[in-house]
Amino acid sequence: MVTRFTLLKELSALVPDDILVLTSIGNNSGFWGQLKDREANLFHLTMGMCSSTALGLSLALPKRKIVALDSDGNLTLNLGVLGTIANEAPNNLTIVVMDNQNYLGSNKLAPGMPTATAGKMNLESVAKGCGFDSACTVEDVAAFRDKIQNALASAGPHFILARVDALDKDAPKKSKRVPDPRENKYQFASYIQKTEGVEILGSGLGGG
Amino acid sequence: MKPEKAQLVIQGLKEAGVDFAAGVPDAQFIEVYKMLAEDRDIHYVGTANEAEAVGVGFGAWFGGKKPALMLATSGLLVATYHLARINLLHEVPVLVVIPYRGDIGDPRWMGLYKKTTEPGLNAMDIPYRIVSRSTDIVRTLKDCNESARAWLKPVAVLLNEEALW
Repeated sequence: MVTRFTLLKELSALVPDDILVLTSIGNNSGFWGQLKDREANLFHLTMGMCSSTALGLSLALPKRKIVALDSDGNLTLNLGVLGTIANEAPNNLTIVVMDNQNYLGSNKLAPGMPTATAGKMNLESVAKGCGFDSACTVEDVAAFRDKIQNALASAGPHFILARVDALDKDAPKKSKRVPDPRENKYQFASYIQKTEGVEILGSGLGGG
Repeated sequence: MKPEKAQLVIQGLKEAGVDFAAGVPDAQFIEVYKMLAEDRDIHYVGTANEAEAVGVGFGAWFGGKKPALMLATSGLLVATYHLARINLLHEVPVLVVIPYRGDIGDPRWMGLYKKTTEPGLNAMDIPYRIVSRSTDIVRTLKDCNESARAWLKPVAVLLNEEALW
């Protein structure tokens, strides 16, 4: 297999600047913040809330490509969202699940506890059963690159399950601070206002 | 809920500027959900649970939508973690609309929700108004959504008594 960090590094080279990327809490947010520091990121989407947030955003901005960087533990907490996504069928949405089969908790140096995908659960099959026509599993960089490029160039929704090592032993030491949720909200919302021409942040002070 | 009262909820949502809604249907509000699903001005997303609805509404807000969450009193309990999160950590506005089952006068036994609904909203620091008369539905929805957007936090509207049953 391959590490999450290696795949995220590859993704950072593949994702154009205007594609919106939403990341689940933990290493997906931490690593993506190191690799792709920019306004078009929404970080810190908590357990069960990454793909659902991406769904809402993709429906609100149907002409904008959106990538959700989800994970096995985060997605399985709210697994029904896959059925909702398949039924709503936003063609601008790609769900990427970094499946390390593990709840690491705060311990990033040793495996934590297994998720359901460490046992019998297969999330690609779940996605297909929920109604995704485009669902696949990748376990190396070349296949990941191919599936991402295809997803970004074609109508979705797409589901890409990346089976990765439990630990990211190749991740460098953290060099940048990832914005906190409120700081990130203002950055991301301001960026969308600027690039989409929509109003998100009213002042609440009578000035608009 | 009688259709004419459900229609007032839809009217109030529209006058409040709501153009996006998510939730899980419940028996008391089923007329509202049916109208939402057919409405052309409001995109309604039926989710598998209410926590998922919070994420969907939260994401839609970042795309410029003015979202409402339609939550049963039981669904509020399911949504609690994500609602607390977007209120206290992200500080993002959504209008939360709740048919207040279990309040005093409810002809069915739903007393559980009397014990959980208002204390739960208070614990999450989510302001709310209770609407007991159908003539107040439209204005209260407008007022609460205006405050939600000004304060950047969820604000709830609870319907009970003549406004609901």
